[in-house]
Amino acid sequence: MNELPIIVVSPLIAGFLAWLLRVRGIREIIGVAGSLVPLALLIKLYPSLGGRLEFTINVAGFKLGLMLSHLTWVFSMIAAVVGFTAILGMVSTARDNWEWLFALMSLTGVLGVFMAYDLVTFFISWEVMTFASFMMVLRYNRHASLKYFILSIVGAYAMLIAIGLIYAKTGTLTFPEVSAIFSQDAMTKMMGGPGLFTKTETMLIYGLFLLAFGVKAGMFPLHVWAPDAYSETNQSYTAMFSGVLSKAGVYGFILLYILMYGKLIVEFGHFRSAPTFGYIIAFLGGLTIIVGGILAALQEDIRKLFAYSSISQIGYILVGLGVGTALSIEAAIYHAISHALFKGLFFLIVATLIYRTGKTEFKDFGGLAEKMPYTFAMAFIAILSLAGIPPLVGFTSKWLIFEAVIHENLPILGGMVFFGSAIGFVYLIRFTYAVWFGQRPSDIENTKDAPLPLAIAMGILGALNVIFGVAPGLVAQELNKIFGKTIIAGNIWELDLGFGRYNGLLLTIWMTIGLLIAAIIYFMGARVRRVPVTDTYQSGNPVTMEYNLTIRRNFFLPLKEAMAFWLRISFDKLYHDIWQSIEDFAETARNYIYNGNVQAYAWYLAIILIILAAMGV
Amino acid sequence: MLEAFLKALLIILYATFVGFMFMGIIRKVTARIHRRIGPPIYQPIIDTIKFFSKKENITHGVIYDFGIIFALGATILALMFIPLGGVSILRAYGDLILITFLLEIPMLGIMFAAMSSGNPYAGIGAQRALLTLLAIQVPLGFAIVALAEYYGTFSTYEIVMAQQIHGWSIFHLPLLLAAIAYDIVLQAMFGKEPFDIMIAPGEISLGPMVEFGGKHMGILQIQHAIGLFAETLFFSNIFLGGAVVMTFASPILNTLATLVILLIKQLAVLLIAIFISTIFPRFTIDQAARFYWKWPTIIAALGAILASL
Repeated sequence: MNELPIIVVSPLIAGFLAWLLRVRGIREIIGVAGSLVPLALLIKLYPSLGGRLEFTINVAGFKLGLMLSHLTWVFSMIAAVVGFTAILGMVSTARDNWEWLFALMSLTGVLGVFMAYDLVTFFISWEVMTFASFMMVLRYNRHASLKYFILSIVGAYAMLIAIGLIYAKTGTLTFPEVSAIFSQDAMTKMMGGPGLFTKTETMLIYGLFLLAFGVKAGMFPLHVWAPDAYSETNQSYTAMFSGVLSKAGVYGFILLYILMYGKLIVEFGHFRSAPTFGYIIAFLGGLTIIVGGILAALQEDIRKLFAYSSISQIGYILVGLGVGTALSIEAAIYHAISHALFKGLFFLIVATLIYRTGKTEFKDFGGLAEKMPYTFAMAFIAILSLAGIPPLVGFTSKWLIFEAVIHENLPILGGMVFFGSAIGFVYLIRFTYAVWFGQRPSDIENTKDAPLPLAIAMGILGALNVIFGVAPGLVAQELNKIFGKTIIAGNIWELDLGFGRYNGLLLTIWMTIGLLIAAIIYFMGARVRRVPVTDTYQSGNPVTMEYNLTIRRNFFLPLKEAMAFWLRISFDKLYHDIWQSIEDFAETARNYIYNGNVQAYAWYLAIILIILAAMGV
Repeated sequence: MLEAFLKALLIILYATFVGFMFMGIIRKVTARIHRRIGPPIYQPIIDTIKFFSKKENITHGVIYDFGIIFALGATILALMFIPLGGVSILRAYGDLILITFLLEIPMLGIMFAAMSSGNPYAGIGAQRALLTLLAIQVPLGFAIVALAEYYGTFSTYEIVMAQQIHGWSIFHLPLLLAAIAYDIVLQAMFGKEPFDIMIAPGEISLGPMVEFGGKHMGILQIQHAIGLFAETLFFSNIFLGGAVVMTFASPILNTLATLVILLIKQLAVLLIAIFISTIFPRFTIDQAARFYWKWPTIIAALGAILASL
């Protein structure tokens, strides 16, 4: 018996126990312990990663397997760390044992996805994850949850068809064997022989996988479920939902590379320096960045803003993956890590805000920085990290993606990622302005700072954001091991790509020096006197608290107007229309076929008999 | 270590002084174009000294002070990475992307401070500043992409060295297009008409700056001076060949010659900006967004595509 199944199953068991024991206090302890076990075991297994860490079991005629390599360890660690902090946050925000069960179940699902050794385990874990996250949303909003569920199911069964196709041709389901068969097939094809898979079949499998993983990752135009599902649930859970569960889609794309890379290149060739199939992913990723970013800027609800922001950041990861060089994939995984860290932090902040104030819309907030200094400090770290301000981890990973993409001579993608970094700035400042600064509405005058469990969870993620930013090599060297060779050179402080260098420590030191100089100049001036918010310039007029001085609604109206044409095109509406016509069709079918007329049913029987007679039965 | 620190201090002092002179030149040249005499060239220095000698300053909270300090600190940090001939401190790490990001950070600090004051003019100014930032990012991005693709490196210093051999960037067609786009972007980065929408004097009472007075405004003046210096220096380095003079035997003479050449190039960049700014009225913010997403983007994207072929 080894540790791998314990890692995967322990959250589920803990969730089940927490669900059974409805005792407040005990269920929290069990839940947190259940999410701590995978983290502890993954750290314990780290030294033995080089060897074979596998676990197989025969169930219902299938060999189910788990394994731990460098790649899966990195992803599992993302899941374990962010999952642990999210569960910690739930100690404050969870409403009943239902949430404990399904939150922990989805952690099991996602760990299973990352550690799966074969397509069956992968698919089962994928479904566990989808189901558990659906149940989490269901309690809050039925419409949002059904939208999420149906899109996920479409994706999941697309994947099932693809798996079926692969199994029908190859007769195996474990990753190494499938991968070996595909690369052998690619080799045969290159020699001019008849391949095992035809071009159409390869394209079909690729398309189905693209649909399956695209839905989970929130890729444009399959992103419509994310804003609703991310916002209509427990926000502590969303830290995991957006931080980790969306990474399952990303991991799926990596899996696509592992299984079919050579075959897909042989069949579809290259577009400039990127493989064509990768360029499609990257281009959709670029659109995801832009669409997610612009929509994030136009939201009036904090949860929605961060949901779209999450979509936008996933776009970066897809761009990195799509370009398809070792460096760009490493950059994408790096961004997956940093996205999990800062977006997990953001949703915990949102959870704190909602827990303390009970409000979600920008129009109800303002001036909270003085009332919640700790949460604001954490928000400050998260803002700097997401906006890509050195020396935080968000900058490092974005910088790697920029360099990796531009170095491959892909100018259009380069322009897209540049736009994404600016739009990130834009929507974060909107969040900062409306929530933390300005006038404070009188009904949130007595807001307290974050509760302890949330504060600890935020502290962990905040510290990791800073540490990985100042010492970017810690992550980079770990990622190098995935490929087994040095792709990003340098030491723990420095990244060296050959055509660009970045040193987190030196940058931090000089930033500190710069801030010191600025502070010295500041303190040379005369003393400052503190004035209230209403003691301000209002074209020379006196103002009182009755005036609303802070712009809280429609902050980016000019952007909305400049984009009016594009905003009319909505995929959300399109899917709604499609779904509506399916429902109409079902109604029509019911009216005509099940019409309640006995003679009609007799006629159906007669028609079937005629058909059978015509077939000569 | 101490030597590096002294060198950094010298660079900062030089940049601040030259930056203030640039601000004076802007006022002087603008005045001459309007057939006025204008203030003396050292006027901005006097202004700044006056700001610091106010007897009382106001604050709206910790972020109000910290934002200002952050803006100046980040500007100093950006300056350290841009090669100043052979002198600069961190030029080995002077990465194109890093410097582009670093030049944007001061804006974040200013906006944090401005927004924490709770003034509605500051809010509207921040909104305009952000949309300007969003608008210029597209052509700016393409221009940087064009440079990186043409030279195959992201190191600013290596780009300067490559220009010593192959001639200035603007003499190659793809990079000329990038340079044109970047120059239009510079107008907004400097905060000059027709893209001074974020400050917009006369329209929204200085926007983000509306609440600052005394030493806060003084620090912003210093920040603006260093920012002007850094932005012109970056443009001269990547498009106008920078300068690395090695003709003299004495290293001091070489350094001085380098600085003089760079200064001339920086002045050229600045003068173009002034000439444009004095004869064009201000755009509205949506006009600016549409403008930047049209012509400069097309020009820069063309440059980037040509450079990648």
